[in-house]
Amino acid sequence: MIDALTLVQAAADTTGAYGSFPGIGARGAVWIAAQVHLMFAAFVLGVPMFAVITELIGIVAKDSKYDKLSKEFTRLLVFAYSATALWGGLLLFLLTTLYPRFWGHMARVFGPSMWLYAGLFFVESFTLYLYYYGWDRWKAGRAKWGHWALGLLLNVWGTIVMFIANGWLTYMMSPPSGVTAETLPEQVGLWNAIANATWMPINIHRLIANAVFGGSIVAAYAAYRFLSARTAEERAHYDWMGYVGNFIAISTFIVLPFAGYYLGREIYEFNQQMGITMMGGFMSWLWIVQAVLIGVLFLAANYYLWIGMARIPGAERFRPYTKWMLLLLVVCWIVWGTPHTMIASRAELAAMGGSHHPFLNILGVMSAKNTAVNLMILTTFLSFLMYRRANKRPTVAWAKSGSMIEGAMFALAAGVVVFYGIYGYFVEAIVRIGFSVYQVAAVLACIIGVTVIDLFVLRGAESRGEIRWGEMPERSQYALFVLAITFTWLMGLMGFARSGIRQHWHVWEVMRDTSAQAATPALGAAANMISLCVVIFLALVAFIFWLGGLAERAVQRPEPAGGA
Amino acid sequence: MWRTNLKVALLGLAVIGFYTLIAHIIPQLESEVPEVLTLGADASPEALVEAGERMYNGAGACSACHGLGTRAPNLLTGGGGLGPIGSRCGERVAGTPCKDYLYESMTEPGAYVVAGFENIMPDMRRQLSIDQIWAVIAFLQAQGGEVTVTGADLAQDAAVSSGGSMPVAATPATASTDPQELLAANGCIGCHQLAGSGGAVGPSFDGIGGRMTPAQLRQSILDPGAEVAEGYDQFAGMMPATFGEQFTAAQLEAVVKFLAELR
Ligand code: HEC
Ligand code: HEC
Repeated sequence: MIDALTLVQAAADTTGAYGSFPGIGARGAVWIAAQVHLMFAAFVLGVPMFAVITELIGIVAKDSKYDKLSKEFTRLLVFAYSATALWGGLLLFLLTTLYPRFWGHMARVFGPSMWLYAGLFFVESFTLYLYYYGWDRWKAGRAKWGHWALGLLLNVWGTIVMFIANGWLTYMMSPPSGVTAETLPEQVGLWNAIANATWMPINIHRLIANAVFGGSIVAAYAAYRFLSARTAEERAHYDWMGYVGNFIAISTFIVLPFAGYYLGREIYEFNQQMGITMMGGFMSWLWIVQAVLIGVLFLAANYYLWIGMARIPGAERFRPYTKWMLLLLVVCWIVWGTPHTMIASRAELAAMGGSHHPFLNILGVMSAKNTAVNLMILTTFLSFLMYRRANKRPTVAWAKSGSMIEGAMFALAAGVVVFYGIYGYFVEAIVRIGFSVYQVAAVLACIIGVTVIDLFVLRGAESRGEIRWGEMPERSQYALFVLAITFTWLMGLMGFARSGIRQHWHVWEVMRDTSAQAATPALGAAANMISLCVVIFLALVAFIFWLGGLAERAVQRPEPAGGA
Repeated sequence: MWRTNLKVALLGLAVIGFYTLIAHIIPQLESEVPEVLTLGADASPEALVEAGERMYNGAGACSACHGLGTRAPNLLTGGGGLGPIGSRCGERVAGTPCKDYLYESMTEPGAYVVAGFENIMPDMRRQLSIDQIWAVIAFLQAQGGEVTVTGADLAQDAAVSSGGSMPVAATPATASTDPQELLAANGCIGCHQLAGSGGAVGPSFDGIGGRMTPAQLRQSILDPGAEVAEGYDQFAGMMPATFGEQFTAAQLEAVVKFLAELR
């Protein structure tokens, strides 16, 4: 009856399993709608996270600066929200008209959760409007806490909404093991389908990535406002806002690789072949491109911090180190971004027994690459530390030994990373994979340990002078743009990796893509699509920023107008 | 201000262009869709081997594991002194000829796991059709051995497989005689509706006992072509004629009885 089912599929195909779209084709249309929708969604999920955090800091520290910042974040959200919904609607429309058979399957498996999703989206929008428009009304005492709770709720709804949608797309990647081409959608079971092998890893990965992304977009917004600021006061505010956005983006970004390992491991567990396709198969070169992008991220983030130290009294004493740190970053970047072996000739390939495999031994390279990445993370952390310490003079008696312990922790972590990096070349692949865990653990332990010690060392520290917010050269702001653009592109790239490993399946080994565009494109073609999505997204975001500026001016205008 | 806008826009385009460029200068690998084989019973061994090689290197994705380091045994070169797969395949399991061993390796990889490796090889029936699998086997046999796969192997399976879903085993899909389970396991519900769910390719089972006698039901299942249901002319020939061979007598009777009682 398999025969029968294929016939049924064929019959269904002829009766319109696929629609067509002019120009870019059905796949291209859905790709753009899904990716742009996702970018906006990431933004509207990421930003509320630190809107509530900054609001809380504002309440606890009684610092209106933070409250203002939080409100500014939220204003961007109001516009971004409609954009998210619009692109989501477009995506739905395209899926139902261009991929009706596939959509029918999904709707039959996930029906009730789709209603819940739509319902929650409304509730979420409502909460957001209350949160934003109620800002100045509930601004003191108990009402303020109530207002803050609204922000918290906003995050709760957003997270649930994302988890639901993740259930759908992870089902496409890793349907529960009992599900085959013959299973009727109704028999899959809603919860069974949602709680599939990659659901939780994707949930966690996206949660973190959204914070990173939100931070970087907010930093870009601040950079734009900084460049167009007219007063020193405005400049100071946006300089600071850019710093906060960047700080959030980079510090959350540092944990992202760990979520990535977890996801990768679950993919391997689910299906070895899928894992291998991702890391060593037709996608292997994707990781080289990823390395280039992440290298840019590290460089831009450090560059921004180093320039920023010029406006901190006392930072001069760290200046001489930066060139060495730059050197280290660049060397690591090169190591990471270089393929281990150039493409072999046909004869070599035949001897290897592989056809299109570009690396002789991908795992062999992992040793060097993991080492490079971990060193880059350590270097960036060091930059943050220098930045933090720049204008402070510790007063605690044990300051000197405290700093020495910190230094020792750095040295130890770097030592562990390098040791296992080199040792990795002398052991079996299976042992080597375990080494990356030690490297990561050493780096994490160093970050946590040093941060804690540093908090105590700098307790009651004397100031060498205030940070001169606003006195930031313009070129630093361009680093923030580069960060935001790179994060956006990276998201598109990873999106391609995640959905591309399904190859010619709508639902892996359950529903085949029998359309004319079933082949998964090579990276060049994918990059064109990614770039197109990024341009569309950023153009819309620029528009939203501009609207945000308009709205603000409209609010501020009455005062001078009243005086005239 | 316009200068700033322009600068930001240019910077954005430059960064995006840079990444796009990088993605273009690396090797361009596409993931292909497995080609549908059009080889028939008269296919020559050479044609089979050639198709198998394309499958092996391309959509079969075998080379992702085989031939790379220590993950899976190398099939094209000597494995532990036994020679390439075509020459070692007959030696692996005593009494199992090469062809059967290879078929088993592809469809039930867990049945015999080569010493020193993990049981990670997937059941290829989920990805390839039976004729694609036979073509790959022909290619593997050609690696140092004699090709004994023939077009007849394809023809034999052509009746039960196409397009690459799970093939029907010659044995019953389930040993159960529970009619509901039989209907589900044999894919009837894929085409016929029962209690509101199922496909709409064939007539609904709901109320079918009121329309047909047990004898008519039995005949429709054993020989679907004999009498085509009214209004289903355009679907005639779609219902598989193989259930007579697949069902045991008890299973057939259980299904007939169940359907006859649906009034
Ligand atoms: C996920 C990795 C993976 C993929 C993909 C894979 N294999 Fe395998 N294969 C293995 C492993 C591991 C073994 C050894 C363990 C075993 O016998 O199951 C093996 C064993 C075999 C054997 C038996 C080898 C011997 O020396 O007896 C054959 C034949 C074979 N595979 C053919 C194929 C073909 C043909 C394909 C592509 C259609 C393929 N494999 C795809 C991992 C894989
Ligand atoms: C590929 C789809 C398909 C599958 C699978 C399938 N059928 Fe059918 N069946 C049909 C079509 C189409 C018809 C109507 C055309 C015909 O009579 O040949 C039909 C007709 C019938 C009829 C006659 C109905 C009438 O009103 O005349 C019966 C009884 C029947 N099928 C039972 C079964 C059973 C039992 C199974 C599972 C063992 C099954 N079918 C599997 C497609 C299918």
